[in-house]
Amino acid sequence: MKKSIILFIALLGLASVAYANESQIWGEMRIQNILGYGQEESLKLGVLFTMLQSKYFAWVFLGVLLGVPLVFFLHYKIVGPKVFPHSHKKHYAFNLFHRTVHQIAAVSFLVLLPTGFIIVFGDFFGGGTLVRMAKNLHGLFTIPFAIVVIPMALMWLKEALFNLEDVKWFMILGGYLSKEKQIINATQFNAGQKMWYWVAILGGITMILSGAFMFFLDFKMEMLHNITGLSQIDLLRVAAILHNVMGFAVVALFITHVYMSMFAIKGAVYSIITGYVEEEEVKILHNAWYKKLKEKGKF
Amino acid sequence: MSNEMSRMKFFCDDHRCIECFACSVACAEAHELPTGISRRKVITLFDGIEGKEVSTSIACMHCTDAPCEQVCPVDCFYIREDGIVLHDKEKCIGCGYCLYACPFGAPQFPRDGAFGAKGAMDKCTMCAGGPLETNSEKERHLYGQNRIAEGKVPMCAAVCSTNALLVGDAESVSTIYRKRVAGRGKGA
Repeated sequence: MKKSIILFIALLGLASVAYANESQIWGEMRIQNILGYGQEESLKLGVLFTMLQSKYFAWVFLGVLLGVPLVFFLHYKIVGPKVFPHSHKKHYAFNLFHRTVHQIAAVSFLVLLPTGFIIVFGDFFGGGTLVRMAKNLHGLFTIPFAIVVIPMALMWLKEALFNLEDVKWFMILGGYLSKEKQIINATQFNAGQKMWYWVAILGGITMILSGAFMFFLDFKMEMLHNITGLSQIDLLRVAAILHNVMGFAVVALFITHVYMSMFAIKGAVYSIITGYVEEEEVKILHNAWYKKLKEKGKF
Repeated sequence: MSNEMSRMKFFCDDHRCIECFACSVACAEAHELPTGISRRKVITLFDGIEGKEVSTSIACMHCTDAPCEQVCPVDCFYIREDGIVLHDKEKCIGCGYCLYACPFGAPQFPRDGAFGAKGAMDKCTMCAGGPLETNSEKERHLYGQNRIAEGKVPMCAAVCSTNALLVGDAESVSTIYRKRVAGRGKGA
């Protein structure tokens, strides 16, 4: 964990050192970059980015921002929330470290998502000071998330590995489409939570790296150019495309995460605040975990 | 004459460009650009290789279908009737998208924002200023001189000693170049 943080800081350091050298974008490379734009044998990344950004990205973001909550609104009205008694026995599942790491990531996301949307719909907000401030906050709040993403990945890795039971979970969507409380044979995390784990961790790291690329802009990492065979400007185009596409997934699953914890399962959000999960909730929604805890004499 | 033909264009005749850097220096001086920003750049390829060495001068090409204008999330670009592509620096948030879309690497970003973030984008205005009041102090400060409004040729082309750098409506530029090519019998 420490090692990876040091590596990350070192990479950022390297980037700013290289910045002082010959520009990768406005130097001699510029002619090659012009020739590489839209030519037959090139990857046409400039043309691709222009097409995606001018025609699709903002619309897809709008679709996700309105569509996902709409689906959940209908779910809430038709199927309704699952309510479990909160007076029963509890199990202390999330210690202070878990909760601190989670809360730092949560606060980062609560800034990153709205500011990201302000940038995407920048023309709606008229550009200028407000959107510029959103852009700066978007960069600034990447730092706390970047600090906790590796500890978070490690602390829940074992629980987030997929198993065969998860296929069954997906077949019935975790029983969330029925009003009845079916017993779900999930471990501490069900397949949906695991999916969010991987999107938040791998997607999150992708967002951090592609965002850092766009922030530092003009740097040279010989290794990266050699591995990918891309020029700096093409790497930036890839970063911009990835940042948007990964953004769709992160936003969609973040909204899902909030809906599940705050609305779909009444009061589930308190487990990450106090650290205690409810016996009934675990028994029904995470039965495999419940059996294991019972064996250990918990509850 | 169709509207398309009256669009303002730059063209650098690489048979004439002698890599004197006058365009780049004159531009930076005329618009009092900060260090690190050069709206116009002279680039030489195959330096010193006889018969192959070639130099050219590059800036914003004021594209007809300007990709920068298409991708800008805050819509800060506007294209004048004469085809000059300009942008509003007070709207610009310095995201860098215009640079990724630009085929010519024209947009540049001074690092003057908070925490070394990219500031508002800067690029060649074809010496036509910006959206502010023409020839106002603020326009000059943000965008440089507005020579077009004064009826003058853009600085870079005005100082080009070999007349390699041509600027004007697309038809006039191509007429001049066609004559040159016919005269020297090569270089189309």
